[in-house]
Amino acid sequence: METIKDALDFRDFSKAEKIGFLIFTIFLLIFPLFGAGSFVKAVMIQFLLFSLFGMGWNTIGGYGGQVELGKAQYVGIGAYTVALLMVWWKIPFWFSMPVGVLIAIGYSFIIGYPLFRLKGHYFAIATICTSLVLQDIFINWKLVGAAKGIELPIHEHPDFLYMQFKSDTYYYYFIMAIFYVAIFYMNRFRKSKLGYQLRMIKDDEEAAESLGIDARWCKIKAYTIASAFVAVGGGFMAVYNLYIDPYSVMDLDLSIKIALMAMLGGPASLWGPIIGAAFLVPLDRFLGSWLGGHKGLIGVDFMIYSMLIMVVSAYQPRGIWGIIEQFRRRGK
Amino acid sequence: MFVIDALFQGILMGLLFALVALGLTIIFGVMNIVNFAHGEFLMIGMYTTYYTSLIFDIDPLLTLPIAALVGILLGLATYYGLIKHLLRGPAIAQLFGTFGLMLFLRYLVQFLFGIDYRIIQKGLLIGKSLSIGPFIFDWTKLSAAILSLISFAFVYYFLHKTKMGKALQATSLNREAASYMGIKTDQMNAIAWAIGGGTVGVAGGLLANFYYIYPTIGLLFVMIAFACVAMGGFGSIKGVFFAGILVGIIEMLFPVFGQLIGSEFLGPHFKFTLVYFAYFVIVVFRPQGLFGWKQ
Repeated sequence: METIKDALDFRDFSKAEKIGFLIFTIFLLIFPLFGAGSFVKAVMIQFLLFSLFGMGWNTIGGYGGQVELGKAQYVGIGAYTVALLMVWWKIPFWFSMPVGVLIAIGYSFIIGYPLFRLKGHYFAIATICTSLVLQDIFINWKLVGAAKGIELPIHEHPDFLYMQFKSDTYYYYFIMAIFYVAIFYMNRFRKSKLGYQLRMIKDDEEAAESLGIDARWCKIKAYTIASAFVAVGGGFMAVYNLYIDPYSVMDLDLSIKIALMAMLGGPASLWGPIIGAAFLVPLDRFLGSWLGGHKGLIGVDFMIYSMLIMVVSAYQPRGIWGIIEQFRRRGK
Repeated sequence: MFVIDALFQGILMGLLFALVALGLTIIFGVMNIVNFAHGEFLMIGMYTTYYTSLIFDIDPLLTLPIAALVGILLGLATYYGLIKHLLRGPAIAQLFGTFGLMLFLRYLVQFLFGIDYRIIQKGLLIGKSLSIGPFIFDWTKLSAAILSLISFAFVYYFLHKTKMGKALQATSLNREAASYMGIKTDQMNAIAWAIGGGTVGVAGGLLANFYYIYPTIGLLFVMIAFACVAMGGFGSIKGVFFAGILVGIIEMLFPVFGQLIGSEFLGPHFKFTLVYFAYFVIVVFRPQGLFGWKQ
C-alpha cells in the first residue's frame, strides 16, 4: 500500500511539470479517438515502446551512470520467449511474457555478476560483446529459426489471450498501460533506497563503498530491473510485429537507439527518456518514410542521430532535460 | 597439415590485427579514452585505397602513403574537432562522443558510396600466390603481413628511440608528472591521435587488398581490436603485438578444429564470436592482460 502511494506521489515536481504531465496523459488517452491514420498510430506505439526501453535503460545507465550498450539482447530474449512458446506449444501471451521476463532476469543475473567487476569503457565494450555473442548464437541456431527468424501464427479472430487484434488501437492502449506502470515504477524507483544508492555510486563509487554500500550488488539489481523492463517491451514487439529475427530484435543498432534516446532526452531524470523518444522516434519514422522514396539516402537518419549525440555529449551531457532545467534556473 | 596451414594463415592475419589495434592502445595509454570510431578509421582507409587506386589507376600498394595521410588527418580532426570538447565532460559523455563519431562516419560513407560490397580487382599482387612446399600463401596477405610488421617496427622505434616518442610514453605513464617536466601534454594527445589514425589508415590500405570493402566493416574490426588491446593489457604496445597474433591464430584455427570434430557449433560462423567472448573473459578475469605486462 505504502509502495503504491509512493509511486503515485508526484508532489516534489514543479507545477509546470505536473500540468505538463496531465496534458500529456489526456492527450495519450484521447489521441486514437480522432481517427488518426494507421501510420501515425504506429509511430505512437513505437514512441511508447521506446520510452519504455529508455526508462529501463535509465535505471542502470542514467541513475547508475554505467554505459550499457547491450540492451537489445534482452529485447531478443523477451521477444523470442513469447514467439517460441506460442509457436511450439500455443502458450498465450499473458503467460509467456512473464516467463520471458523471468528468463531475462535470470540471464541478467548470470552475466551481470561477472560484468559488474568492470567499470567505465571496459564495461561498455563488454556489454556490446555479450550482446553480439547472443545475436551470433541466435543467427546460427537452427532450432529457433536461425537467420530466417520466426513467424507467429495469425489467428482468424481477434484473441485477447494471444494479443491478436485487427486494429492497432488495442495495441496502442495495451502498450500505453504498460508505459504508465513503468512511469509509476520509475517514480518510486528514483525515490527508493536503491535509487539514492545508485546516484551516490555514480558520483563517487569509493565514497559510496566506504559508507557501506555494496556497489556491485546495487548495480546488478539495477541492471536486472532494466532487463525486465526491456524484456516486457520485447514480448510486446513479438506479438505486435508477428515476425521476429535476430536482426530486428537483437541488433546492436537497437541497443544504440535505446541508449541514445535516454542520453539525448536526459539521463537520470524521470522525463528524460520520454522526451528523447518523443524526439527521435518521429524523426526516425518520418525520415524513414520520406527517405524510402529516395534510394541512396539510406542512413541519413542515423547521421542526424549521431551528430546530435556528438553535440549533446560535447556541450550538454545532461541532455535536453538538462537544457530545460538550465533555462528554468536562469529564469528564477 | 590443415592445422599448420591455418596456423601460418592466422599469424599473417594476426600481424595485421596487431597493426589495427596498435593505434587504439596508444590512444588509450596516453589519454585513457576508448576510440569507438577506430574501426571506422580503418574502413575509411580501405575506401581511400580503393578509390585512389581506381581513379588514378595505380597499384593499391602504392596508395598506402595516401591512406596513412588520410588516417593522420582524420585522427587530428577527431582530436581537435571532438575529443578536446569531450574532455570537459564526464566519462560517460566521452564514451558516447566517440560512439557518435563511429555511427556518423559509418553512415556518411554509406551515404556517399552506397552499401555495396566492393573488392579491388586490379593490382600487382592480386590473385598471385607463393607456394612453399605444401603451403600456399596469397601474396596480398603475405605483403600485408610484412608491411604491417614494418609499420609496427617503425612505430615501436619512434616510441622508444626518438625524443618525441619518449615524451609520449612519459605522458602515458604519468600525465601530471610529464607536464611538470615541461612536456606539452596537449600536443602529445594530438600526436597519439595522429599515430593512431595513421597506423590504422595503413592497416586499412593493406586490408583492402584482399578483403571485402563495405561501410559496416568497422564494427567487426573495432571489436577485434578491443579484444587484442584487452589481451595485451590496456595501453601495452608489446602486449598488443602478441595479442594480435594470438587473435589471428584463434580466428583461423577455430573453424579447423570445428571441421576436425565435426561440430556445428564450432563452425566458421562463430570464429568472431569466440573473439568477442575472449574479450569478455579476459577483462573480467585477467584485466591486466594475458601476459600481465605493465608498460
